[in-house]
Amino acid sequence: MSGYLAGTTAILCINLIFAYGIFVTAASGQINLGGAGFQAIGGYATGWLTSEAQWPMGLSIVAAVAITALVGFLISFPVLRTRGVYMVLATFAFGEVVAGFLLHTDTFGGAMGMVVPFHIGLGILVLSALVVTLLTFYLMATRLGLTMRAINDDEDASVVMGVNVRAVQVAAFTIGGAFTGLSGALYALNFGFIEAQYFNSLLSIYVLLFVLIGGVQTAWGPLAGSLFFTLLPELFRVGGSWRYLIFGVVIVVMMMLRPEGIVTRSMIRRLSPRRLFARPALGSADAR
Amino acid sequence: MNAVSSVTKSRRDLFGPAIAAAVVCTLVAAAIGIGGIVIARQVVSGLLLGAIYMTVAVAFTLTIGVLNFLNFTIPTMFMLTGMAAWGLLSSGYLAFASRGAWLVALLFGVAVAVVASLIVERFTFRYLKMRHGDATEHAIPLVSSLGFLMIFENLVILSMGSDSQRFAVPFKSDLHIAGLIIGAPQLASFVLAVAVVALLSFVLKRTKIGRALRTIAENPDTASLLGVDVGRVVPVVFILAGLLAGVAGALFTVNYGDVSPLMGDNVGTKAIAAMILGGIGSIWGAIAGGLVVGLAETLSIQFFGGDSVSMTVWGLVLVIMIVRPKGLFGGATIGKGKM
Amino acid sequence: MPDRPALQLDGVTKRFGGLAVSDNISFEVPSGARTALIGPNGAGKTTLFNLVSGVYKVDGGRILLDGEAIHQLPPRRRVRAGLSRSFQNIRLMPHLSVIENIMLGQLTLASGPRSLLAPLAWQRRSQWRLQAETSMRSAGIDVDPDASVNGLPYGVRKKIEVVRALMSRPRLLMLDEPAAGLNPRETAELSAFLKSVAWDGLTMLVVEHDMSFVHDLCEHTVVLNFGRLIYDGPTRSVQDDAEVRAAYLGNRRVASNGGERAA
Repeated sequence: MSGYLAGTTAILCINLIFAYGIFVTAASGQINLGGAGFQAIGGYATGWLTSEAQWPMGLSIVAAVAITALVGFLISFPVLRTRGVYMVLATFAFGEVVAGFLLHTDTFGGAMGMVVPFHIGLGILVLSALVVTLLTFYLMATRLGLTMRAINDDEDASVVMGVNVRAVQVAAFTIGGAFTGLSGALYALNFGFIEAQYFNSLLSIYVLLFVLIGGVQTAWGPLAGSLFFTLLPELFRVGGSWRYLIFGVVIVVMMMLRPEGIVTRSMIRRLSPRRLFARPALGSADAR
Repeated sequence: MNAVSSVTKSRRDLFGPAIAAAVVCTLVAAAIGIGGIVIARQVVSGLLLGAIYMTVAVAFTLTIGVLNFLNFTIPTMFMLTGMAAWGLLSSGYLAFASRGAWLVALLFGVAVAVVASLIVERFTFRYLKMRHGDATEHAIPLVSSLGFLMIFENLVILSMGSDSQRFAVPFKSDLHIAGLIIGAPQLASFVLAVAVVALLSFVLKRTKIGRALRTIAENPDTASLLGVDVGRVVPVVFILAGLLAGVAGALFTVNYGDVSPLMGDNVGTKAIAAMILGGIGSIWGAIAGGLVVGLAETLSIQFFGGDSVSMTVWGLVLVIMIVRPKGLFGGATIGKGKM
Repeated sequence: MPDRPALQLDGVTKRFGGLAVSDNISFEVPSGARTALIGPNGAGKTTLFNLVSGVYKVDGGRILLDGEAIHQLPPRRRVRAGLSRSFQNIRLMPHLSVIENIMLGQLTLASGPRSLLAPLAWQRRSQWRLQAETSMRSAGIDVDPDASVNGLPYGVRKKIEVVRALMSRPRLLMLDEPAAGLNPRETAELSAFLKSVAWDGLTMLVVEHDMSFVHDLCEHTVVLNFGRLIYDGPTRSVQDDAEVRAAYLGNRRVASNGGERAA
């Protein structure tokens, strides 16, 4: 595999895991614009544990995921007092606080960054991305996933139907934090070097766009979004500013014509093999 | 109670902000007392910077307060003003205006910002169709604004390059007050920013259009039933936001002399911090927040060095979000999202 | 004969601004029976439902479900205690399929970690799904269970909402205008279905305007007017009550069994 292709696949895997971390909360109606902050915590935790505390790589990753999950859990309490635009701003503030803290604190290298002594190969990245993807599909197939989608659709009605909305949302933030932290850990170990300037609001925005453009109705969304944003520029064979200009136009057009995202639940329903081969039920709406 | 109309009700909730103002003034006085003239200078430049942040923050908070829309193109319009002004100035078309060319260029820049704002309105807000809504539906215009941010920023880069450019203002008259050197443009900028924001609060309080805006803010679903011509009033919000961002961009250009396609990003982030500090949806909050952030920035650089700004500013935001999540001036806000 | 009433309202009051939308309401809903809650428009029937289900907080009085005070519990605890309701304006989840909406109603029964974390969507023959499908069919909902709820006829969506409310095997089922918008055939079907759903101790409280439906289904009726209780007794005598007739006067007369529909 060529170096370029390997590099692109590595970034794709890391961004995909990151995207699933954002997806998990978005699927239950919570938009997290501070993802880079979580990723930074995962990355720096891994970096510090491997270089300063001399922990083995595997243990560092596990610890980093646990730490970010805990942060997700703790941060959910103040954040869940907000909704809508206010939650976007609250999570944005979180991301900036983390970035600002890391930039200023010399323990973590400050503006100079931190070197990470180990390296993991593409195989682990792909495997991790696969595991996270399958886990998310599984989550959305459970009753917990069903309640998440119900909350997204109608939070007030869900409350009246007996859903423990707060508990589900806290769980979503915790799981989302874990996934995002994992992406940070893997990034640190793959890249060998991390700096606070990387984990900025533009990164949070970018990954949020993957998720929202891909579609939050199904677990296919982040896959579609990540592939879309990674492959589209290849299609046009242009670089730099043209690439982002085209992204911008595509985003605006999509929000005008298909704001629910690339992959919707009805699309999946239509493409489902069951549907393609099943006979319509008596008197059903689809009997033609 | 709508925080956009908090301008009229500010008496009720002044306790917190009064305390904060007292604390800030004391700290600043102490800092000046300890550090003398050097600190005083930082306070002056902090207030100027704060005036710019405040103007952008007001644009953000107005759009959120009335339309529940976090508009990420606002910092882009800030940038467009500076870049368009520079573009026109350096193109040579303004040779006829000689000494006044810079002003014409800046006015042009502000106009460009307003036009850009209306384009965003046309292709974002007017297109918003509430379908089978879910909780992420409010993000549709937000995502759209991110798209426009990319479009405008990269159009500028492609046409004018990504380098920073000098924008020269050909006059220099300084005021010397008690050992402080305050440039006339600095003072004029501060006054202008305050005037623009005061004008806005007047418009909201006293005019028919202001009343219409407040009605939309308080009754997003039924405003048209209440007699508001929503199709004609909503663009006004965008025009106002464009004007505010444009004026801020013009002031920044005049005072710091540098423009670049990325000049909006940094200011935008600080303006958002200012808005959160002051209370989302509150005009007074944006004013206070902007000034606090400006002061925090210059004093932080003075005491802690250049890398500390982010941490100081966002540390303040963190403290406010824990201690008083509504912000210094935050009252209850109306709209689909609530704090 | 069960001794405790399924639902007891004791001096329940709710004010919006200066207006008492519910004014010192006290009545009992007998256990195992079906009770209708009727009254002219604006009488406060849906408000009462909202108070009982926890959407609104009471300003005064108590609400007891099976003897247990619920008026200070959050909505989900009330559901856990055996309460279930449907909505006047249908509130199905638009992005969930028919069967998923119905299975949402099972949550109270399926709240243990194993039930929460089992891959429900992949287990097409799980007890939960089969139960939901059976309930669907017996209510006369003959659409593809995996179809989207959008685009289904109004009558079908109303039925789905009722079935969803039944899935938690509630102690008290509160239905808010379940027959509104249904044609006579669908109304009769619904009435027959509700009568057939008769597990031990199921109590129903039904808000309705369709008096023939009420006469057919409910033995007991409670009448509200301007937030106050004006009648609490057998359905067959409700049209004879002077105060009830006065309340409805000017609209249409309260119809007897088999008569014309009321407003």
